[in-house]
Amino acid sequence: MIMAAYDPGIHIGSSLSVLDILTALYGTGRLKFNAHNGVSTRNYLILSKGHAVHAIYALASLFGYLNQDELRETGSLGSRLQNHPEDDTPFTDVSNSGSLGLGIGMAVGLALGLKLKGHAGKVFLITGDGELDEGISWESMAVAASYKLNNLIVIVDHNKAQLDGFSEEVLRKGDIAGRFRSLGFFVQVVDGHNIGELVKAIEAAERSEAPSAIIAETVRGRGVEGLEGSTRQRVPRDEALEMAKRVTCR
Amino acid sequence: MEELTPREAAGKALADLGDLRKDVVVVVADTGETTRARFFAERHPDRFFNVGIAEQAMAAISAGLAYAGFMPYALTFAEFMLRAWEIIRNSVARLNLPVRFIGTHAGFSDPYDGPSHQALEDIALFRVLPNFTVIAPADSCETYRAVMATAEVRGPVYVRVGRDFHIPATCDLYKVFEVGKGYVAADGSDVAIMTTGQMLGYAIDAAHILREKGISAAVLHFPTIKPLDLTLLSRYARAVKAIVTVEEHMVHGGFGSAVAEALANIGPKPLAMMGVKTFGRTAKSPEELYRYFGLTPENIAARAEELISLAR
Repeated sequence: MIMAAYDPGIHIGSSLSVLDILTALYGTGRLKFNAHNGVSTRNYLILSKGHAVHAIYALASLFGYLNQDELRETGSLGSRLQNHPEDDTPFTDVSNSGSLGLGIGMAVGLALGLKLKGHAGKVFLITGDGELDEGISWESMAVAASYKLNNLIVIVDHNKAQLDGFSEEVLRKGDIAGRFRSLGFFVQVVDGHNIGELVKAIEAAERSEAPSAIIAETVRGRGVEGLEGSTRQRVPRDEALEMAKRVTCR
Repeated sequence: MEELTPREAAGKALADLGDLRKDVVVVVADTGETTRARFFAERHPDRFFNVGIAEQAMAAISAGLAYAGFMPYALTFAEFMLRAWEIIRNSVARLNLPVRFIGTHAGFSDPYDGPSHQALEDIALFRVLPNFTVIAPADSCETYRAVMATAEVRGPVYVRVGRDFHIPATCDLYKVFEVGKGYVAADGSDVAIMTTGQMLGYAIDAAHILREKGISAAVLHFPTIKPLDLTLLSRYARAVKAIVTVEEHMVHGGFGSAVAEALANIGPKPLAMMGVKTFGRTAKSPEELYRYFGLTPENIAARAEELISLAR
């Protein structure tokens, strides 16, 4: 919320819906803030819904890898904390995921490459439900299924909202779990704000012979009164500072 | 190499590259047969991936493979490659990843399928992207050499390749293909005909026509459009009275535009940019289309003659 106050350009609603998913991944050590290229056994994170990158910044700060002063600089010209993952953005693996759907294809390519190299690491791909409108999303998922990329674990931040409003009102999504299942994915549907459920699903996904999709049922703006459950993404500075006082943890 | 078609030469180069380098992987969009990437698949099946009729996924997956440390070659028809342009911009060009895109059936080399299949905008769209190297070989010999040479380029590359038609012109023109180098196919002092891709043969014919009329025409072949060989270009641009550019591509934003941009810096010269200004047509042969769009040796010679007379 502090970042939202200093930069009204950030997508705070989406960052809040994905926060628990990221907590499950970083909190269990599956992802590390100081991991970088060259380690053949490590896991990779692709935040394809790149506009939610502030959730990673917030966690990094909480875990002591970023100081709060730097958080206030997010979105500034000289800051490495850009508003979508860029080349110089810390903590994210495949950058330039700001254009939706693109990170999905790149994650599949990365998973294919790691498998070809015999690396043991997993590729955690976080996508939104709105992003699944993009044709490339399903083009890529079909490739993941065809090449049996069980090192790919897709987590859908199913927050049911996108730019123009609630997802189902913008464009029908159908049965998202069913769409994945029909391609041959191992599909689990969990409460995306229940860390225990998330971790359990991730463990099962890691054991799967097929590529995995975890549909994480989430709420936009989770934990902040005035944002939670709404489609709001951006908040004026004064309101953001006011909201910061009413953040709840559940 | 001359006996191969351009796309076969590209396929053969890929298969040979696969022998030399274990990091080479090939990704196609249901175009293994048509692009002749099959030649690679037959020798290196474990490093060949078909993503189905999905050019966007082909581009992004190639980017992911490059991220994992491979050197991916992505092949489809040049025209269909353009569907993935935004993906290529964001996932490949911005990250400066070593993905090589080979667009076959470029220009008028697929007359049978008509305008939906005839890429006449690809040079412009790849040239505008930072970090990209853009290459348009003239014939099969050059296609083979160019594709082999791409392995040494650091960033992303686009290679524009024809289907089956080509006029052999480069086999004996030089020994080594160098990315970024232009070649003198004929020397001359009155006019310079500058060309890229498959129009080289016609440019050479045009120079012959001019010579018979007592006009000395140089033919400069620029297989690499970006980066353009400015040393060669400026040497001739200063010496001749006029310049004609010829390309099997839209005149807007293409090779001619690249030359015009360079001339704006070097110093202006009367310039005629030959190419096409609208979409293609279905026809029985590429030659028929060249005639229909006015891209013939006679027309090239006529434009050169006209320009020289104006320059005097």
